Amino acid sequence: MAVFVDLNICHTTDKKRLQNIIETAAHLGYSTVAVNHVVELQGKKQEIGKPKCVTELFDQFPIVQGKSKPIKVLNRLTVVASEASHFRPTNEFKSYDIIAVFPKTEKLFHAACMSFDVDIICIAVAEKQPFFFKRPPVNGAIDRGVFFEISYVAAIKDSTMRRYTISNALSLMETCKGKNVIVSSGAETALELRGPYDIANLGLLFGLSEGDAKAAVSANCRAVILHGETRKTALGIIHTMKKIQPTAERQEEEEGPVSKRAKTETGGV
Amino acid sequence: MDEPASYERLVFKNASVYHYMKIHLILDNKVVKLNAAQFKQLIVNALKELYGEIGAAFPFDVLKYEESTLTAILRVYNSGLVKLWSALTLLGSCSGEPCAVRVAQVSPYLLALSGNSRELELD
Repeated sequence: MAVFVDLNICHTTDKKRLQNIIETAAHLGYSTVAVNHVVELQGKKQEIGKPKCVTELFDQFPIVQGKSKPIKVLNRLTVVASEASHFRPTNEFKSYDIIAVFPKTEKLFHAACMSFDVDIICIAVAEKQPFFFKRPPVNGAIDRGVFFEISYVAAIKDSTMRRYTISNALSLMETCKGKNVIVSSGAETALELRGPYDIANLGLLFGLSEGDAKAAVSANCRAVILHGETRKTALGIIHTMKKIQPTAERQEEEEGPVSKRAKTETGGV
Repeated sequence: MDEPASYERLVFKNASVYHYMKIHLILDNKVVKLNAAQFKQLIVNALKELYGEIGAAFPFDVLKYEESTLTAILRVYNSGLVKLWSALTLLGSCSGEPCAVRVAQVSPYLLALSGNSRELELD
């Protein structure tokens, strides 16, 4: 059974508001959320900084509706890149669970699809797409298991941005045919979040088929998380330390069988 | 003499022409009061913003509306379900205040809305 994931919740320094968003997400039925830290790389040596430890956020994580399990919170970094020199993987990237890049130019989009070591490529939703999606880089990204992200929060806020969101999404779907797409919120307040089934329905508006639209909030997001895990480790070699703990907890942490995992996990090997 | 007992087997495919939705309107500001007419107007405006005049003209009904909890049950033809749902999803403000519509249940049969297995309290 696929669980619902929202991979883009804006990080705010306001702890109370962040807690409120995560509580709402758990109530709506999201099993995993990622807190997004946006960095615009301009200077040559800019500090990215370590993410805030998510365990500090809650004493006890809110329970996901209908799952009776606490919600999982990940850290995500989005690098806004307008020049090729901006994107330089550093050690600090390793402390994030998911890395996303927001390419501003066509050249960078090509590089992001073909060579950058990232999990997500963001698609502009608040402005007109400055370039066309060409088939070779998009196909390259699909082969490498990199996903494209459309965030829907702009569509809720403003009607002009809604137009841009839908038109950019449609032009992406024309090229990628609904493969490797995730839809995420980008919410800054709890009222900007929508339920997973609402988003699956909204995906139909973006030109996804019914199955793809549901995968965009569940199965594809899982593939992104697994892709992020393989990037953090040495291309999929995962070394874990076993601690003595009660059997009940250990069973929960076990992943599904290898055959059931998404293809992308082994894509880099 | 009594007629022998007979049975008939009928199989319907997509028997219902309607879909029913149970929705909650969530508002930041608790002071705002909406009556049923204003509530419907809000949804019509949301449809109009996303689909234009033609989209706003397709038929749907508010069957039941509770003013205290801002809960409503809507009925819509199958063909208009995706339109109505997406318009509700993208509804972001209600008379200037930020708001959200939470779709609790969607079903082709009204009977199904009477119960909800997700919120079932067992103890």
